[in-house]
Order: sequence, then C-alpha cells, then structure tokens
Amino acid sequence: MLKLAGALLLVAAGALLGWMHAGRLAERPAQIRRLVRLLSQLETDIAYGLTPLPEAFGRIGRQATEPLASLFRTAAVRLERDGMAAPEAWRAALDSVWELTAMKNAEKEIMLSLGNTLGATDRDDQVRHLRLAVKQLESLEPEAAEEQRRYEKMWKSLGLLGGALVAVILY
Amino acid sequence: MPESVLRLLPAAVAAALSRLPRDVLGGLEEIRIREGRPLEIVTAQGSRFVSASGGLLADPDGAYRPTRDDCARLLDRISNHSLYALEEELRRGYITVRGGHRIGLAGRAVLERGAVRHLRDVTCFNVRIAREVPGAAAPVLPYLIDPDSGAVRHALIVSPPGCGKTTLLRDLACQISRGPATARRRWPGRRVGIVDERSELAACAGGVPGFDVGPRTDVLDACPKAEGMMMMIRSMSPEVLVVDEIGRPEDAAGLREAMLSGVRVLASAHGEGYADVAGKPVLGELVREKRFDRYVVLGRRAGGRQRIAVLDETGRPVAETEAGGSGGPKRPGTGVPPDAFAGRPGRRPEAGLPC
Repeated sequence: MLKLAGALLLVAAGALLGWMHAGRLAERPAQIRRLVRLLSQLETDIAYGLTPLPEAFGRIGRQATEPLASLFRTAAVRLERDGMAAPEAWRAALDSVWELTAMKNAEKEIMLSLGNTLGATDRDDQVRHLRLAVKQLESLEPEAAEEQRRYEKMWKSLGLLGGALVAVILY
Repeated sequence: MPESVLRLLPAAVAAALSRLPRDVLGGLEEIRIREGRPLEIVTAQGSRFVSASGGLLADPDGAYRPTRDDCARLLDRISNHSLYALEEELRRGYITVRGGHRIGLAGRAVLERGAVRHLRDVTCFNVRIAREVPGAAAPVLPYLIDPDSGAVRHALIVSPPGCGKTTLLRDLACQISRGPATARRRWPGRRVGIVDERSELAACAGGVPGFDVGPRTDVLDACPKAEGMMMMIRSMSPEVLVVDEIGRPEDAAGLREAMLSGVRVLASAHGEGYADVAGKPVLGELVREKRFDRYVVLGRRAGGRQRIAVLDETGRPVAETEAGGSGGPKRPGTGVPPDAFAGRPGRRPEAGLPC
C-alpha cells in the first residue's frame, strides 16, 4: 500500500516537473509581448510626458504584472534610494529579476544594451533605442512561440512518462 | 555645504570637498568641475583648487582632476537620470536642481538650422550654490518704498554675475510680501508675484517654493518671463512683480508692458553699473525713459566686503551702503535711509533683521 502511494507520488512529481517546464515555455512568448508593451509605455512616458526615469519606472512598476513589475520597481529603487547611475541601476535590476522570468539570455542581452543609453541621451535618441529594443524583442517572439508549440506537449508527456518510468523501475 | 549639493557630486569630488575646512565649506559659492582639469572652488575670498585629500591650493598642479566617469555620473544625477527631460535646459546651458542651485553647463553645442538645439559631451560644470540670506534686503528696502504713498518703486538691481542679485531679489520679495520686521503694522506687506524662469528665486520643487519667499507671494515656476509677467498680472493680480535677470529683448518688452499695467516691478540685470544697463538694446530704452525709479548697484566683493549703491531714476547716487562678507549683516554707510514705512521721521527700520 505504502509502495503504491510512493509510486503515485513519483508519477505526480514527474508530471509536475514536466508541467512546470512546459509552463515556462508557454510563458516566454507572453512575457516578451508584455515586455514590449511596457517598453512602448516607457517610450510614451519619455517622449511625450518627459517623465523622469525614476518616476516612469515606478509608475510602470505599479501597473505591470509580476515578474516584470519588480524589474521596473527594482530599477526605480536603485536609482532613487541607492543613487546609482541609470545603466548600473538597470543592470542591477535585470540581474536580480531575470531569474524569475521565463525569458532567456537573448532577451536579457537586448535589455542590457538598452540600459546603456537609457536616460543618457536626448528624446529622439531615447525613442530610437526603445524602438530598436522593441523590434528585437518582437523578432524573438515567433521563435519563442515556435519553441512553445514544439516542446510544450513534449515536456508535459515527458514529465508524466519519466515519473512513471522511475516508479516502475523502483516498484 | 548643503546636503542637496553633496548628494549630487560624484564620490571622489564629494570626498575631496568634504575634507575642506569647515569655514571654507560654509562660504562656498561655486564648485567648478571640468573633465581632466583641476577641481576649483570659489568662495568670497576668491578661487582656489582642491586636492584629492581636501587640501586648498593656490596652484592648479596638485589638484584633483575629475575623470570622465565623474562627469558622466554628475550629469546623470543632476538630470535625475533623465537627460531627455531637460532639452530646454540644455539649450539654455544650465539646470536648476532641487534646493535652487544652478548648475551651468558647457560642452559641445548641437545645432539645428543655426540655432543651438542642445549640448552634448558636457564636460564643464559650474555648481552655483544658492543660499537664503534672510535680511539681505534690509539695508536696501527703505530706498525702494515711496515714503509719501507707501508704494513700492520700480527698481532694477544691477551687478556682474555672482554678486548676489538673486539672493537680494529673493529677500526683497520676502520682505515686501511679509512687511519689514520693524514696521509690519504700519506697512503690512504687499501681494507679490514672482516669475521664476530659472527656478532660482524660489527654488520650487513640485510647484512649492523651497525658499521662504513670503506669505503673500505667488510663484510662476519655469515660465518664460515675457509671457509669465502678463499671465501673472491677469491671473494673480499682484501688486509687486519680481523677475530675475532681464536679458533678452522680449523680457524687457514684457517688463515695459507690466510697468504700464499698474504693477510695481522689481527686476535684475547683469552689468557693472548704470551706464551698462543704459547701453543695452531694449532694457536701455526703459532706462533712458526713466521707467525705473531706483537702481541698486551691487559691486564686486573685495576682501569680504561689498559696496551697494542706490541710484535714482537718472542714475545719480541716493545712498551707498556696505555689506560685510557674503551674506553677513549689512550695515548702512553713508546716507541715512528715509523712513519709508510711515510718516514718523527720524526712525528707520533696523538693518539685518530676518524677514
């Protein structure tokens, strides 16, 4: 009886692992789309509102959903409380938050290079860099969606079957 | 040195400056930061260089030289990490930061159709530390009030840059708004409107003045003077209008319009004396037409003392006073100020009392 319960647990754990991995795959294109939307919002704040960066970050941080909200919130705190320069603050925020997102290194690189110019140039230049980042992110989205389509189901079944296999071997 | 300045400076510069002797820090007027060149400070005693360990040097050789990174950080902080929000400021060449300190900038100008669009490669910074000097206006104020009617006279404050025009104007606004401490019951103060194009007079942060500008004072922050003066007159019905640094022809034209609107005007302009302002293109016209009733001419500070001359509408001296030190108490010199605030002769408001 106990053995059976253990085996069931193993199967459940395997299925859960597979589901989680598949979930990350499904989350990635969605997060890229959300990040693109937030960057467009930042562009509006910069180009039309002339909102100072800490304030713009703070506002986006309040409106966005996790985990992207904490990216902007952390950046705002780093700027305002810790007195970091904008590129440093952006990098620090990316480093501490990226783990929590479903996005990969390619997206992080785009965000990092955006950080180098954030706040440090005139309005037109800011808009140019933000649009470039948006474009690059958008070009990654189909790839992420393709990956999701291809591997999401696979991971789910792989998890379940892997769990079952271990259970059978141990039984 | 005020905290509001210290937190803007890059670490190395702040460390060097904070090791300066206390009396030097207290009298600091300007900090000049130039990339790769010696760090300079200006006090009432003149210009000195500062070494990395906080030593005062007359010779530039041993001084700390701010790096490119220092300058980038400074620019990042004074712009609140948002250079894009400061296009107008970069076009004019200065940024006013929290606390009313003005930071002059020089670098490489970017032109668009022949006009300066903004600055890039900013490598020279002049941090001008703003100080509130309560009582700075006390020796001058009696001359700016008409003893018969009690009305404020149209007045122009004239001095070279860095001699205390803005400080004097701010305290004048405060005292006129509040009424002078010694004669408040007889002369209860007037409604004052400040058009603060450079945010230096009132040092507004989020629309609220950072300096005491008096209880009956309205401030129109960051508004171009010419337009702002008429806006103020239409919207806030001030009795006295205060504007800083009349420079462009349209400012002077706005001033003329304000004077013809039944408002009393206190303004300031750069110049060594009466002859300089009389020679300016549009402002000179106002001077030659005797639109201003009084001129207050601030001399350069020498050995901690400053000469202040009050001239009448034709440029003839009415009185001369001397102020000791930067912001120290001012004592009346030659010429007894008239008792402007009431018909009791012989008593004059005491100098140096805080507003």
